[in-house]
Amino acid sequence: MTLSNQFSRRRMLKGLGACVALPFLESVYPNAWQAKSSSQAPQRFACLWMPNGVHPEKWNPAKLSSDFELSPILSPLKQVKNKILVLGGLMNKNSISRFDGHYTKTANFLTSMPIERTVDAKVNSGGISLDQLMANHIGKDTMFPSLQYGLDRIKSGVDKAVGFTRLYGGTISWQSPTQPCPREIDPRMAFDRLFRNHIPGKKPLPPDPHKKSVLDLVMEDAKSLEKQLGIEDQNKLGEYLDAVRAVEKRLDNPKNLADFEAQITPDIRKELERMDIRIDEWAEYAEGVDITEKARLMIDIMVLAFWSDASRIATFMYGNSVSNRNFSFLDGVHGGHHAISHHKNDPRQMDQYEIIGRWHIEQYAYMLERLNSIKEGSGTLLDNSMILFGSGLRDGNRHSPYDLPIVLGGLGGHKLVSGQNLYFDQETPLANLYMTMLTAMDIEVDTFADSTGPFCELLT
Amino acid sequence: MRSNFLIRTASMILLGLLPVFISADTKDDLEFRRTVRSLLRKHCTSCHNEADKKAGVNLDRFDFVVHVIRSGELFQKVVEVVEKNKMPPPTNPPMSQADKDTMLAGILKILEKALAKPDPGPTIMRRLSHREYRYTIKDLLGVEFDALKYFPAEASGGEGFDNQTGVLYMTPLLMERYYLAADSVLTQVRNNPALWQQLAPRSYRAGPLRHFTNWWKGKISDRKVYWRKPVNIAEDIILPFANKAYRRFLSIDEEQELMSLFENIYFEEWRKKDGFEIAILTVFKKIMVSPSFLFRMEANLPINDPYPVNNFELASRMSYLLWSSMPDQHLLDAAYRENLHDPKVLRREVLRMIKDTKFDRFSENFAPQWLGVQDLIFSSKTDQEKFPEFTTSLRMAMYTEVVEYFRYIFTQGNLLQLIDSDFGLLNKELATHYGVSGIEGTDFQKVDLKESNRGGVLGMGAVLVSTSLPERTSPVLRGQWVMEQILGESVPPPPPDVPELEAAKDQVHDELDLRSLLELHRQPSSCMPCHKKMDPLGFGLENYDAIGRWREFYGTVPIDSRGELEDGVVFNGPEELKEVLLSDKEKFAENFSRKLLSYALGRGVEFLDSHTIRDLTNQLIENNFNGPELMVALVNSYPFRHRRSDLADRYKDNKL
Repeated sequence: MTLSNQFSRRRMLKGLGACVALPFLESVYPNAWQAKSSSQAPQRFACLWMPNGVHPEKWNPAKLSSDFELSPILSPLKQVKNKILVLGGLMNKNSISRFDGHYTKTANFLTSMPIERTVDAKVNSGGISLDQLMANHIGKDTMFPSLQYGLDRIKSGVDKAVGFTRLYGGTISWQSPTQPCPREIDPRMAFDRLFRNHIPGKKPLPPDPHKKSVLDLVMEDAKSLEKQLGIEDQNKLGEYLDAVRAVEKRLDNPKNLADFEAQITPDIRKELERMDIRIDEWAEYAEGVDITEKARLMIDIMVLAFWSDASRIATFMYGNSVSNRNFSFLDGVHGGHHAISHHKNDPRQMDQYEIIGRWHIEQYAYMLERLNSIKEGSGTLLDNSMILFGSGLRDGNRHSPYDLPIVLGGLGGHKLVSGQNLYFDQETPLANLYMTMLTAMDIEVDTFADSTGPFCELLT
Repeated sequence: MRSNFLIRTASMILLGLLPVFISADTKDDLEFRRTVRSLLRKHCTSCHNEADKKAGVNLDRFDFVVHVIRSGELFQKVVEVVEKNKMPPPTNPPMSQADKDTMLAGILKILEKALAKPDPGPTIMRRLSHREYRYTIKDLLGVEFDALKYFPAEASGGEGFDNQTGVLYMTPLLMERYYLAADSVLTQVRNNPALWQQLAPRSYRAGPLRHFTNWWKGKISDRKVYWRKPVNIAEDIILPFANKAYRRFLSIDEEQELMSLFENIYFEEWRKKDGFEIAILTVFKKIMVSPSFLFRMEANLPINDPYPVNNFELASRMSYLLWSSMPDQHLLDAAYRENLHDPKVLRREVLRMIKDTKFDRFSENFAPQWLGVQDLIFSSKTDQEKFPEFTTSLRMAMYTEVVEYFRYIFTQGNLLQLIDSDFGLLNKELATHYGVSGIEGTDFQKVDLKESNRGGVLGMGAVLVSTSLPERTSPVLRGQWVMEQILGESVPPPPPDVPELEAAKDQVHDELDLRSLLELHRQPSSCMPCHKKMDPLGFGLENYDAIGRWREFYGTVPIDSRGELEDGVVFNGPEELKEVLLSDKEKFAENFSRKLLSYALGRGVEFLDSHTIRDLTNQLIENNFNGPELMVALVNSYPFRHRRSDLADRYKDNKL
């Protein structure tokens, strides 16, 4: 079922040969930033969120501090072991709910605040999410302040049993407490949005000289309509105005555009071409079949976005919360993720749960290795990144919000003391880690959600 | 002396304030506390208190009548369970008849008083849902646009529909896509001569004389050239289009704004061969990303009481309900010439619109979302290895069956046939899957199901697959589905941090017989009350496997699809289960009315809608479950034709 078994006419035509499905970068490429200037490389942040928790006994590494041994689930991370932090004992206190085991542990994964129980009108995540806070600070210098990706369509319907709209189960990025950021799930659309005009051999979109006058005018429109509207309507229109402004900002800033074009080095261009073909092939042969390749495409787009500095902030959801993705494509697994996560301590179920957990870490390891293969300054792109992996609950069988499975990859611009396995006192706020990352990014905030302060021992 | 004065002054001030505090208590509040609250404390709050919150309910937090009204739905539930002796539970001392009467009368009095003055509820401007966008584009421009794929997927709200205000956000990503969508749609139209001709019957191109004149003007002045003719032609193209797109007449200012945009662009581009078209298309693009197009906006009048929406607003409400799209010319004419609030006009228009083929869209949008099968169209979670028969085309056929059958029943049948009927609409593939022979072709056709195990939504593949796990059936999920989608009863969530039983059942499903499964569910006492309700309903459908095929055995173990409900009613298999469901027609009628009202208003149904729901339910029963009649009643209902300003809320809040 993998791509490599398929005959690829397009690839042959392009003269690239029938190479393996996942073109790993053999060489170390120089980076856009280096090519452009000698200024300090920017920080990047991504969060890869997985639903349904992990097998609790196969997660924690054997020893503490830097000579730790990777656990069965974390074993795919061996190539980058010296650039990860495995962090045990953290909890997201505000995700405890008497009503529900999943939604309240998803929507607030990056806000660490309690969410409002509602089926629609009062959707509220309690706060801005970590990624969006970062985007407000370091995202504005790039074409796309932040990216939101995922593998599955957001689940529709409301969960009447627990009294939540499923929106909560499909959103970790919140621009404001009341405004979730939508996710892109189609590799082609995500890729084209960023790189459409830079793919070798592809016709760029025609220029649109009047776009600015159109946008200016609709903004004026909205402002004059505002006066005739009720309060809630004005809020809606405020959303509209913000959205138009965001689109206009990208247009307004020719420097951004020119900068971006300059950042597309020949190496990136080559990679864009390769990605373009891979996405076509996936769409043609493997869409709806090969979820691993889809995950890797989305991850590669994030890597390219970081590499070309199209964006510095991204979130990625492996699935919606309560996802019952059928993982039978993995050897030894039969059934859906959520059902298996309720393993009832049956060893047969737990073995499968472990395999599924490892699959998630494999994709994460793929991202870290890709970032680590790209040179930036005197180190690699991974050195200037913080790539968070986590789930909002530890063990799906118990919906426990304590001792969450959390890994932080990358050196955060050499601001983090990485390559360690740490175990914090039970009930240490997850938000303390967020404060640590904000500190590493030189973003000054008094506090974040229930944080009691950054982990100074992790900071250089 | 001085300190005495201070004390006296202070106490006078405090005494002066006292009436303010007291005045917060109305006579109703005092009566409520004396009667209802004391009885709640006597009989209910030992379990339903802040700490225990049994079933998620806390009845120990009500001191004021306004708070009771705010939680009106909860108190309606209290009335229901006390009336039917479901509460207090048998484990607690029973309520005396006198206590019961006092409590219920007290609650009902408060609720009825609150409902006496009709309230249409909050109306917030609604962004077009992706489906509505798609159809509006189709009706406005005549082209197909796959909005569901092109725009980022959205969640649902209210009763589970994607057209609910609360979840229709506007984001930078979506705005970006709206702009590109307008571009791509307009390019499609421009490249289709027939469509373009309809939209822009005339064009203009500057002739040699005009070129010369402008050249000469350019010699003597730096001013941008301007002449009237192209503007006049453009006006006849732009303004009618804008009126249609905004679904109302434009204000003079808005007209001028659009025309000056045209002028700015045209007098810059006039030398180009298609300068006129470029300018027209740009103005169209502007219209298509304007708030007046993307949102359904209604005027907010600065008055306290609810007021009827204007004719054009009502026309849009009707067309988005019935067609998921903008009003057609006929409806706009009616809105212009007649009074749409007139029940006769309204009825005529609703019935006309139901006859239109565009009414298919209502079935397409409403039915799958109501039944919770909408995700089937995008993906499948069914295990392909275990069920290779479950092909994409079969999945699509199942989806189509739901839509086609619903449409047929709504327009030509009796809505109770959604639960049970002796015919279905099938194509060959689906009929074969169901074990019904003699059907040919890919078209869906009316099929006699008297001799089969099908008929009604409970036997439909789409429903049976959507309520199954990847590899096997789940009686719990199916039971929950029947309760929520058909009967409109919500099932409380499993107690916190107790593992769901689904997984336990998973392991034994194929190995144990049904009785043992049932027993398994009843073991933990905290799970029992709900599973006792859900599971029997689901077991009644066990003869359908995870992809909806009929079966009599699990391997070699015969299937026992008997079920016993809480009230002692016993049934065996889907046919008898359907009879049980049909025995309480009112419940289904109420649930269906509720779903439809939520879909129509774009918001969750609230306490203040109680009378509307009651009226629709009664109407449905009286008219023998006739779809079009229900639709007429719904469109005629108070909240559908009225709105209220929320500016008043602001003043109220300030005062408090």
